[in-house]
Amino acid sequence: MANIFPRWTNHLPIKIVFCLLLLSCAASAAYWYYLTPEYMRVGYQPVQPVPFSHDIHVTQLGMDCRYCHSYVEISSHSNVPTTQTCMNCHTQIQSTNPKLAAVRESWQTGQPVNWVKIHQVPDFAYFNHSVHVNRGISCVSCHGQVNHMEVVFQHESQTMGWCLNCHRHPENNLRPIDQVFNLDWKPGNQESQQQIGFELKEKWNIDPPQNCSGCHR
Amino acid sequence: MEYRPAAELLGLPPVMKTVFRHPPEDLSGKRYWRSLEELADTPEFRSWLERELPAGAAELELDGVSRRNFLRLMGASMALAGIGLSGCRRPEAYIVPYTKSVEWLVPGKAVLYTTSMPGPKGGVPLIATTFEGRPTKLEGNPLVPSSNGGTDLFAQASVLDLYDPGRARTFIRDGEEAGAQQFDAYLASVAKDLEATKGAGFAILMEEQVSPTRDRFLRKVKERFPESGLYTYNPLGFEEHDLAVAALFGPDIALRADFEVADVIVSLDSDFLGIEQTVQSVRDFSRRRRVHGLGQDMNRLYAVENRYTITGGMADHRFRCAASQIPAFAVKLAKEVAASTNDRVLNAVVAQLKDRGTPFDQVWIKECAADLVARKGKNLVLLGDRFPAWVHGVVLATNNALGAFGSTLRVLSVPRVKTSSLRDLVADTKARAIKRLFIFGGNPVYAAPADFEWGELQRAIPEVVRLGYWFDETSSPSKWHVPEAHYLESWGDQRAPDGTYLPIQPMILPLFGGLSQLDLLAKLAGLPAGVEAIRETFKTFNQESDFESAWTRFLRQGFAESSSYQAAKAEFNPNALPDLLKTAGPPPGPVSPGAIEIVFPADYKIYDGRYANNGWLQELPDPITKITWDNAISLSKSTAKSLQLQDGDLVEIAVNGRKLQAAVMIAPGHADYSLSLPLGYGRWVVGKVGQGTGFNAYALRTSDSPYFATGATVNLIQKNGHRLVQTQNHYSMEGRALVREATVDEFKKNPAFAKTVWMDAEIPPNVSLYSHPPLNAPNQWGMVVDLNTCIGCAACVIACQAENNIPIVGKDQVDRGREMHWIRVDRYFASAEGDKNNPHLEEDPEMVMEPMMCQHCENAPCETVCPVNATVHSEDGLNVMVYNRCIGTRYCSNNCPFKVRRFNFFSYNDRPVMDRVEKGLPGFQGKQQLYLGPLAPWGMDELSKMQKNPNVSVRIRGVMEKCTYCLQRIETAKISQRVKAGVKGDLSLPTDSVKTACQQACPAEAIVFGDIKDPKSKVSQLRTLPQNYHLLEYLNIQTRTTYLARIRNPNPKMPGAARVGNINVDEHGDQRHSAPRAESEMDGGNA
Repeated sequence: MANIFPRWTNHLPIKIVFCLLLLSCAASAAYWYYLTPEYMRVGYQPVQPVPFSHDIHVTQLGMDCRYCHSYVEISSHSNVPTTQTCMNCHTQIQSTNPKLAAVRESWQTGQPVNWVKIHQVPDFAYFNHSVHVNRGISCVSCHGQVNHMEVVFQHESQTMGWCLNCHRHPENNLRPIDQVFNLDWKPGNQESQQQIGFELKEKWNIDPPQNCSGCHR
Repeated sequence: MEYRPAAELLGLPPVMKTVFRHPPEDLSGKRYWRSLEELADTPEFRSWLERELPAGAAELELDGVSRRNFLRLMGASMALAGIGLSGCRRPEAYIVPYTKSVEWLVPGKAVLYTTSMPGPKGGVPLIATTFEGRPTKLEGNPLVPSSNGGTDLFAQASVLDLYDPGRARTFIRDGEEAGAQQFDAYLASVAKDLEATKGAGFAILMEEQVSPTRDRFLRKVKERFPESGLYTYNPLGFEEHDLAVAALFGPDIALRADFEVADVIVSLDSDFLGIEQTVQSVRDFSRRRRVHGLGQDMNRLYAVENRYTITGGMADHRFRCAASQIPAFAVKLAKEVAASTNDRVLNAVVAQLKDRGTPFDQVWIKECAADLVARKGKNLVLLGDRFPAWVHGVVLATNNALGAFGSTLRVLSVPRVKTSSLRDLVADTKARAIKRLFIFGGNPVYAAPADFEWGELQRAIPEVVRLGYWFDETSSPSKWHVPEAHYLESWGDQRAPDGTYLPIQPMILPLFGGLSQLDLLAKLAGLPAGVEAIRETFKTFNQESDFESAWTRFLRQGFAESSSYQAAKAEFNPNALPDLLKTAGPPPGPVSPGAIEIVFPADYKIYDGRYANNGWLQELPDPITKITWDNAISLSKSTAKSLQLQDGDLVEIAVNGRKLQAAVMIAPGHADYSLSLPLGYGRWVVGKVGQGTGFNAYALRTSDSPYFATGATVNLIQKNGHRLVQTQNHYSMEGRALVREATVDEFKKNPAFAKTVWMDAEIPPNVSLYSHPPLNAPNQWGMVVDLNTCIGCAACVIACQAENNIPIVGKDQVDRGREMHWIRVDRYFASAEGDKNNPHLEEDPEMVMEPMMCQHCENAPCETVCPVNATVHSEDGLNVMVYNRCIGTRYCSNNCPFKVRRFNFFSYNDRPVMDRVEKGLPGFQGKQQLYLGPLAPWGMDELSKMQKNPNVSVRIRGVMEKCTYCLQRIETAKISQRVKAGVKGDLSLPTDSVKTACQQACPAEAIVFGDIKDPKSKVSQLRTLPQNYHLLEYLNIQTRTTYLARIRNPNPKMPGAARVGNINVDEHGDQRHSAPRAESEMDGGNA
């Protein structure tokens, strides 16, 4: 036998096993890192320069999303309010609250507030807010129940597969047009959501693009 | 056993594997070619063609980077990557809202403003697209009656100038940086000083501009300081033309040609579709060129010129004639017209000038004149701007005899401020009468006639204040350099060529605190500047009682209603003619090898040199010669032969004691013993982009030879001494009947001739092996390009570049076939060979322009070869390129029959394309910094970033890209329709509501885009025309872009008329080429 296999093959099985172990470790590490919601940044909740609470403004005070995100119905981009929008109220209300120091400073100096971006769509994907909210897709479908968030975090993975899930089956997210900005609206149960969804899809002629050209230009 | 195919045994129809062999080109007939190398089929051309697509762009070795250097770089980049690994998480990004809400501004949405671009012949009405306050794209203003929404290429490219990193940023006094306040203080002291001296010794030198507010300010300056002098200088000026008009009609008169009325047009070296164009002239000419029905109302164009111009390319009959002989030609033509009209004035003109020698083709002139006379009152003779005034006199008298005035040539009253010429300024300076000179714009040190020695003279003036957009040749010897504001940064006004009053609105505050001409003049005149000044001027154009609403409407629609020039009372005054004609010198002798003439045309890309630092224009292939990043002396083949020259040879021209070295290039269609060298290149104080481009033709140009000089001699300095980079052989078509043309008569006989040309005559039933997704979307996009009206000006190329964030790549990269333009304009020459009667045909070919971009084939060959599905089809018929899927195999480009795909080799948008390696790594010196890979600086200039269209991805390297039919515009239209529809569900787009960038820019309306499923759309209607044809139809690729064949309108009596446009069909209307040869292979197998 010794003539058939040279001497260096003695340790070969161990080497192979060791390499396989390393590979499987790497594979599972990669899997763990890249395919979990962590990687998709679900739950990403950075500290903002101003401790702004959507919960207070929307749920407690009953403000509409569109008071601050005023162009969401006409523009691709849902604007973050200007300092002027904040100061519309906060010259009167809570005008000395230390939490609002950054806003007041911005108003006095003219330097903008740098809000940390949470939902980052890649540069080569072109998302349009106006077409979604005007056609019965609520904020909550992509952003979660922001109205109850003390500090905003990313609620959905917002990957391309996630986008396509809805573009293929918009009935799962369509809702009456007057409920788009009501983030607490519930269809009752899953069945009634489907029922409403199919009905609206038919009625409003909903045809979300599934071709690359819909989002990539 | 007898062999029988399996299919037959099974009772199935035989399966054919059809292999197309492109038939060899027919050698006896007319051929289309792009270059003389192609025509001669030289080995160099073959190897260039056969190497790889796009034409040899792929090999790194060719770039002179050795494997060792490559590995060294890769090692370095791996090391850098190691450092960078810690940052593989997505970086933190910020949303930065405004502090104060901005009026009208919606983040993410474009805001459009009307404005206009100043030009020597008047303003170009524009609409500027701005995103968050940044102007990114300019379009023509279709609301203005004289515009159709088209622009010239300069207007398209001018937005890049706004963001030119090389523009002047600071005030400079005596070579040192100074502040704006110091200049203000200086200006105040000057004003005080002028008050005391009444302006003695003070002068202003300006460029020609048609701005009522500037005129008003100048009048005021003259009123305040009566002793001061006003001078204008345009290197490509039309003083001689104005001189003739002033003599024959009186002062303050301008002539405007009405091309919509003209049936017959004779252009004597007048490039009215090219460099001397206005948007209106191209639009109106095209309207009469477009084939309606069977082409009954087509105009006819005769062109006489020394080199191929855009106008010459559109001509039905073209006569090659040296520029110095064109005056003689004009006289001969006048003589023929005089003989048949018996016009008293014209007879007197001809009698006074007698015969000026030089025999021309008598039949040509005679028949041309006969055609003119036959359409009396509906004809037009035009002469190039820069010919001497007496020749303009002859041509105006000819027009008078032909009854053009009042019908095709409108006589308009154009009040202007009186200014003197540069010649007067030179005289005054020499007389030491000028103590203080303000120079507004222009670049006289570079562009003044060489015999003025203006550079030296300017130094002799004690105080020169220069307002300039760039720090250039004129700035360096000036005491003060003041940064000028771009027209997109300042208030102003213009009159369009037809006189319509246009606003110039600022889109953005001056980026570097520059001043506009009006700002500076206002300070001298002591009048308010800015918007107040324009409001004041607008009062003279406003006819309404409610000023504020009129003003708002003026800004909103971009013009003042019924403000065009009034028809003048002045009449043609023949009494002034004899004096004018006396200025004609002795006729120059004929051109010959010993007496060569040199012509100085304006450059199609950088005009008089002012766009030398504009990368888009520098990289644009010249519409005719296809040279990029250079100019060259063009000359005919026989001239080159007699001088023993070849392309790229460096020669020295000597004329009137002045010498210049420049490269030569053989140009088909050029007159013999005539050379043309475009002006504008060879600048010596210029930004990075313009450095080292071309040869300075101004060095040869003197004040008495503004357009051409005779008696030049040429000496060879170095064989192949200069690398000229042309794009004409890139992406060659190998003569596959891509352009199709006929004459009107043939078209009448066989309207559908274009469908049966060449291989398309007999297309075997084709079945696609591949299935594609159903084309079932409500809109099906398509495009029609009209070869009959396309003049080849390349405004579409620049418009596409601006719209789609297309980078420039630099001369070396273009040389390797790596230019990135998504749309190109193919320029074909066509000549019939084997014509015994005219052995010079090859030198006198016809020219056809064909815009070429992705054809969006329904059976797209590129899609079937992509291994990663990065190019796919959409339901609305678009061939979609998905950048984030592409891995850069370039198979698609290889399989594209039109070679319209572009591969981004070096992240040109993010890399320092214009920078070269000065020192450091051995083997890299002198190369573009692109080759340093990760060691080169990364990232776009902050200023350049501002121009980018936010709705189009900025592509990185390793990715294919190509025309998308302006997908972003389609999507924007679809989205806004859906937003508008809301819950109503009406998703149908209004007919013709989407326009592509190329379509919008085209002044000739030659490109039409739209929904081919909508029978009402313009594109559907054009597709039903008989002259509509698909490219390479026999390949069954089913292109979405179709072309309308070119129809020429020759005069049957002209010499050579039988040849014109007579390529695809013979007298019987049959296709000339043989039917396609298909080779069949039976599907065999074992029976």
